[in-house]
Amino acid sequence: MLRWVWFAIALVLACVFAFPLWFMVTSAFKAESEIMAVPIHWLPHHFQWLGQFRLAWRQSPVGRYLLNSFIVAFVQVAVTVFFGALAGFGFAKYRFPLHRFLFFFVISTMMIPFQILIIPLFMEVHALGWGNSYAGLIVPGMMNAFGVFMMRQYAADLPNELLEAGRVDGAGEFHMFLRIVLPLLVPALTSLGILVFIWSWGAFLWPLVVVQDRHLQVLAVGLTDFSQSYSRPPEWGAAMAASTLATLPIAVLFAFFQKYFVRGLTAAAVKG
Amino acid sequence: MALAGPAPVASGRRRLMRPHWWGLIFVLPAVLFFAAFSVFPVLYGLWLSLTRTSLLNPGHFVGLGNYAAMPRDPLFGTALANTLEFVLGSTVPVWIGSLLAALLFNQKFPAREFLKTLFFLPVLPPLAVVAVVWKVLLNPSGAMSWLTGWIVGKEQIAWLYDTTLAPIMMIVVHDWAAIPFYMMIWLAGLATLSPELSEAASLDGAGALRGFWYVELPQLRGTTLLVCSLSTIGAFQTFVLQYVLSQDHGGPVNSTLVLGLLIFKEGFQFFRMGYAAAISVVLFLMILLVTLIQIRLGRHGA
Repeated sequence: MLRWVWFAIALVLACVFAFPLWFMVTSAFKAESEIMAVPIHWLPHHFQWLGQFRLAWRQSPVGRYLLNSFIVAFVQVAVTVFFGALAGFGFAKYRFPLHRFLFFFVISTMMIPFQILIIPLFMEVHALGWGNSYAGLIVPGMMNAFGVFMMRQYAADLPNELLEAGRVDGAGEFHMFLRIVLPLLVPALTSLGILVFIWSWGAFLWPLVVVQDRHLQVLAVGLTDFSQSYSRPPEWGAAMAASTLATLPIAVLFAFFQKYFVRGLTAAAVKG
Repeated sequence: MALAGPAPVASGRRRLMRPHWWGLIFVLPAVLFFAAFSVFPVLYGLWLSLTRTSLLNPGHFVGLGNYAAMPRDPLFGTALANTLEFVLGSTVPVWIGSLLAALLFNQKFPAREFLKTLFFLPVLPPLAVVAVVWKVLLNPSGAMSWLTGWIVGKEQIAWLYDTTLAPIMMIVVHDWAAIPFYMMIWLAGLATLSPELSEAASLDGAGALRGFWYVELPQLRGTTLLVCSLSTIGAFQTFVLQYVLSQDHGGPVNSTLVLGLLIFKEGFQFFRMGYAAAISVVLFLMILLVTLIQIRLGRHGA
């Protein structure tokens, strides 16, 4: 049967692609000597409950990194989602001077690769006095043009009758946005929010250059404490424990919001 | 919702004409933000690329001096070649691999959703995690050496400490994470295909492969263009793998030094901001050129 052939191929592929993460999670609970064991240990032989996590905590300010990652991601998600929806709604449902130009202006910034921004943005943030601070870490990534574009697509589909009804009730335009538009956009906002969280959580280059103080650093960059230690022998168990921690929030989002998660990731494909 | 003729559908798309100033107020925060943190830095970067600027000294104008210096800079030449090699290795194999995976997971077979989820897992960890985990797997005495030791009969392989192997491993690790991601995009595209057309093609007796090539792929032009351009743009900008996974940020002997890493080093280790900005402008122009070519080809393929 052909379907069993497909099954066999898919099984092999799935195992090959999932193996590195299986290795990461199991190694977070192995004793240090087991990690490079030959042949490899598929499961920990000497199960360490939280030993490697404690070691990671001692070696590096992992708790602080985690907290910073959450602060950055939380603010960036909240601001992107709210102002993205506001701008998307504005572009979708109003006519105003320079409408086309401003929309093109916002959308064209999607084409700018981050590599060309890194040097001038660093100079700009320093000139603003935000070097090595939460402001410098958070503000430049607080909005993205894709969010505005995506929200405009969804807001355009909202029926005007509903908005007119809100107006008849005497609600102001901003009030109407809060009371009528935002609740209707919740599914799209969820997808966008998850997407922004993933981007924010994984951001590496910008935190690396803008922050010098370890206590302001995010987990993605902080992880390299464990992989580039020149002075002491690398502690791979602690590295796997910290890596597992850094993957956990995304995995939880995936487990609970799988539908929105995949829709967010493929939004560009379907809508674009 | 009950259908009441085409009117409500059409009106959903119509804009509200009356209170137009509110629209401007609603879009203003976003517009000002992008002006300050996207458009201004691009213009400022163009200016910086024409100056000799260090971190502290405001620069003086040197015209195209930074650009003229590139052909004579061996590091730039190395980084350019390494970037092109990485781009080649992380685009074409990813396109083919992700499309084949999508076609596979588009078939009907037992435990499909579960296996698809397992296959999709590499998309979850941040790239820094990917790099750290693979650094352990690719340790000379690590799991990968054990796995290949069965086949080639060699006990330790210096995956990341060999100037030929290291850049290939950057590509392998990148593709491992990228193929499941682009598979999802292909699957979203495949889900929009009309089954009638495909069935008509198979009734005509077209082979499965030919049917896909002539009937289904042409309908996926938008998806194809998206996968090709997104992966190319991303590959040109690669940084994290070369910074974290490679030996000493771009080693051994600069074999994994790519333009993204060179910009970082020139700017934040040698503090030659003007020169770094000039390299980033060149990188941007390369990305722009390749993307425009892809869009042209995508139109031509009609």
